Amino acid sequence: MTQSLKDKLVIILLAAVIAAFSITFIAIEEQVEIFALLVFAAALVLGGAKLGITASIAQSLARNERLMNFAFIAATIAVVFWFREDHFPLLMIATVLLYVIACCGLNIQFGFTGVVNFAGAAFFGVGCYTAAVLGDTSVPLLLVILLGGIIAAIVGSVLIIPVLRTRGHYAAVVTIAFGLLFRTFLEVNDTLGGPQGLGVSGMNLFGWDFNNNIEISENLEISFYMNYVVLALIMVILTFVLMRRIERSWIGLNFDAVRLDETAAACFGIDIKRWKIVAFTLGNFLAGTAGALYAMMLGFIAPSNFAFSDSLILVSIVLLGGMGSLWGTILAAGLVVLLPEKLQVIQEYRFLIYAVVMILILLFRPQGILPRGLRAYIPGWRG
Amino acid sequence: MDVGLLGQFVVNGMMLGMMYALVAVGFTLFFGVLDVIKFSHGDVLMVGTFAGFSTYLGMTAIGIDNAFIQLIGVLVISIGSMAILGAVIARYLVLPLKSAPPLNTLLVTLMLGTVLREAIRLFYPDGSNPKHFPALLPTDSWSLGSFTLRSDSVILLVGGLLVIVGVNMLINRTRLGLAIRAVAQDEETAKCMGINFKMIVLLTFALGSGVAAFAGVMNGLYYNEINFGMGLLLGVIGFSAAIVGGLGNIYGAILGGFLFAGLQTLGAVALPFASAYKDVFAFAVVIAIIAWRPTGLIAEKTSERV
Amino acid sequence: MAQQQETVLTFRGLTRRFGGVIALNKFDMELTNGQILGLIGPNGSGKTTSFNVLTGIYEANGGSIEFLGQDITSWPAQKVYEAGVARTFQRSRLCLELSIFDNIMIGNHKRLNQGLLFNIFQRKALKEQIQENHEEARKLLKIFDPALAEKMFDPVGSLRMIDRRRIEICRALISHPRLLLLDEPSAGMTHEETRELMDDILEVREMIDGLSIILVEHEMGMIERVTDKCIVLNFGQKICEGAYRDVASDKLVQEAYLGGE
Repeated sequence: MTQSLKDKLVIILLAAVIAAFSITFIAIEEQVEIFALLVFAAALVLGGAKLGITASIAQSLARNERLMNFAFIAATIAVVFWFREDHFPLLMIATVLLYVIACCGLNIQFGFTGVVNFAGAAFFGVGCYTAAVLGDTSVPLLLVILLGGIIAAIVGSVLIIPVLRTRGHYAAVVTIAFGLLFRTFLEVNDTLGGPQGLGVSGMNLFGWDFNNNIEISENLEISFYMNYVVLALIMVILTFVLMRRIERSWIGLNFDAVRLDETAAACFGIDIKRWKIVAFTLGNFLAGTAGALYAMMLGFIAPSNFAFSDSLILVSIVLLGGMGSLWGTILAAGLVVLLPEKLQVIQEYRFLIYAVVMILILLFRPQGILPRGLRAYIPGWRG
Repeated sequence: MDVGLLGQFVVNGMMLGMMYALVAVGFTLFFGVLDVIKFSHGDVLMVGTFAGFSTYLGMTAIGIDNAFIQLIGVLVISIGSMAILGAVIARYLVLPLKSAPPLNTLLVTLMLGTVLREAIRLFYPDGSNPKHFPALLPTDSWSLGSFTLRSDSVILLVGGLLVIVGVNMLINRTRLGLAIRAVAQDEETAKCMGINFKMIVLLTFALGSGVAAFAGVMNGLYYNEINFGMGLLLGVIGFSAAIVGGLGNIYGAILGGFLFAGLQTLGAVALPFASAYKDVFAFAVVIAIIAWRPTGLIAEKTSERV
Repeated sequence: MAQQQETVLTFRGLTRRFGGVIALNKFDMELTNGQILGLIGPNGSGKTTSFNVLTGIYEANGGSIEFLGQDITSWPAQKVYEAGVARTFQRSRLCLELSIFDNIMIGNHKRLNQGLLFNIFQRKALKEQIQENHEEARKLLKIFDPALAEKMFDPVGSLRMIDRRRIEICRALISHPRLLLLDEPSAGMTHEETRELMDDILEVREMIDGLSIILVEHEMGMIERVTDKCIVLNFGQKICEGAYRDVASDKLVQEAYLGGE
């Protein structure tokens, strides 16, 4: 069997295993079974790493990037299709997808460029409130998603001067203060619903109402969340392509140079301010678009959704996955969103356990679960 | 505006400022010796308050009901246990990450804050509900026209002031303080001069955490109510205060603490139509000050070596 | 080397203070086309400070800098680089987690298309640009070390000190600067390695038309061998200027180094 054929088989098999695992994980309800599945998966991954299988799979993946991307999209579609009639699993999947988009935004900001942002949930929230306010107007809803991003970017521009002038902890405080300010503002502002929040109209695309179940036949009624999953998946793919293209271009290189050594970067003509502005604005834009669709999907938003702890969750996803690592972000978003939902036993203890796990990861695997590799400008090309 | 109400605002503002300053002093001490931010500081304060509260319950249960003795017990246990907790955190979470990116330390301690908060909420008896903190100080009051000054407020303010002055003296006048300043100045040189670096770091964390516990008890005595979430906002505000003042500088921390309280009070007084916006106002000003003075009002005296 | 005596760089009364300390005191200097200037002096005498002021990292407190006929005194670092000044750092400042190619391309910034739309949407043109620049970087690196040129996509963090120095110099040279500032290239290297590195730099100079070099160095053998002219700094002041042989025998210079009265 040739190398390339073997690679392809490995990839397809891997995608199939991931799809099967995800379906099982989402479908089973028994706590014991869920625990067993998690332990099994952990053993598989650790064992694979020990035997060098993980490394050889990684090589197969790197050699066939295009196929890998398609295989994983196919796997996602398979999972989504499996749960076509069930509201809750689809809601969870869509939530994971939207978190992925928001965390990609954060990745541009501090994974790539080193601009810390502890107000991720606030920019996500700007998108949500944009959708809530514009939802009832005649603005086309697809445009509302775009506007959610644009308005988040504009709101973010208020912070550009302090963010550009500060570094490290000082920059962290700017965004933490903004996050708290944003939430307090929402709570006391009556026009935006105060602490009770606002209702949001669902997505409607050229007359296609996203909030109605899709009746295919008498015994097949697809959950209306499918609409949101599909749209979110399209948005994730677009975001992913954008992120990849940024990373594999001179822009990505400039971002890295700014993050790693501002002084050296400036001595080689890199405009620190320009790239920080680009990264900060683009990141907030992505968070805003994700927020807009999220609000339409939930149909209701309140200030308590955008607390400091929610910003922390977004930051943790980025760190858990590995700074700047796209696949890492996807995996981490899945874990962080799904685990607490599935492990009902720990529901009450979930923040506690989650915080302990984060501490352990930061202490023992600070590079994240799937660390970002070196930049491959052109996949498979090494000069 | 009514003089009595204005006086009330001033006393309240000073009380808040004192608490913020006490928390900010901790942040600035930690940053001084290790260049790290220990974000769990606010939650350590909260745990300290609960430790003090438990001491009070315990003493009442065994029949000690003299308020003065209770107060001493509460303070000793609360400050002592938090000093130990602070040193333990430094030893097992902060020092191991010394060479990691600063963001990692910030995150680890943020997560630790969550652990402490959740632990109290879940494991302290009925921890998810607010607790009534006893008034252990005499509550006589003096009236001056429409303005009433309560003696417990005066005692708390004086006590806070004494702690701040004490910490300042400790840093500037004692051998321990000299060692702390030496480590803050230059770790390597301090080590060469025979200073036990690790010990100094642990002692500094103990000191800062003890001060936070004092602020927590002060908070409890003043508002007579404590809850598991009280540390988060106090921590964030203390952090902002330390930053606005200029990290690594005790006077900066005190300035920042009172400035923030002043802003909140001003927000409440000057925006009568929208006093709810006082925190929005205070945080907006904090952001503006940082934009104006990116390394704090009393700037850090470091320059990068190229 | 003296085909044209065009002046490349001029300092006039250049001054820089840090608080009460005068790091650079009324420094006058001239550098001509193709010249190699050695900048020597004890630690803290203002050598690196003059680089930092020249490249726009520090502002000058007085005096002026003229480069290729333009007054660049208050230019930011980016603009100084665009004008054709590239440097290395005393303590290596490479991005250790990036590849060799990435690091060299950081130095090539002004010759790469930095447009947002170009980078995101014109993948094909971008790929061509990447491949062309890769080829050029490889050729340059090959002069220093052929083996290194075959490892363009290895992380810099995995390399030895001398290889890192080589890459830092390539990062400075890739953009065809008119003036190269080398800040103690021999630091942390053996005698042999230093000699090798300097030979490579001289070889590259032949390729880049009219490249002038300022070299800060403690290793006097290297200064003697490669410089056309030397300037000695002490406490921020120029105390001597001339050919290495003359400078080395100067009484003031010997005092500065030996701490005589």
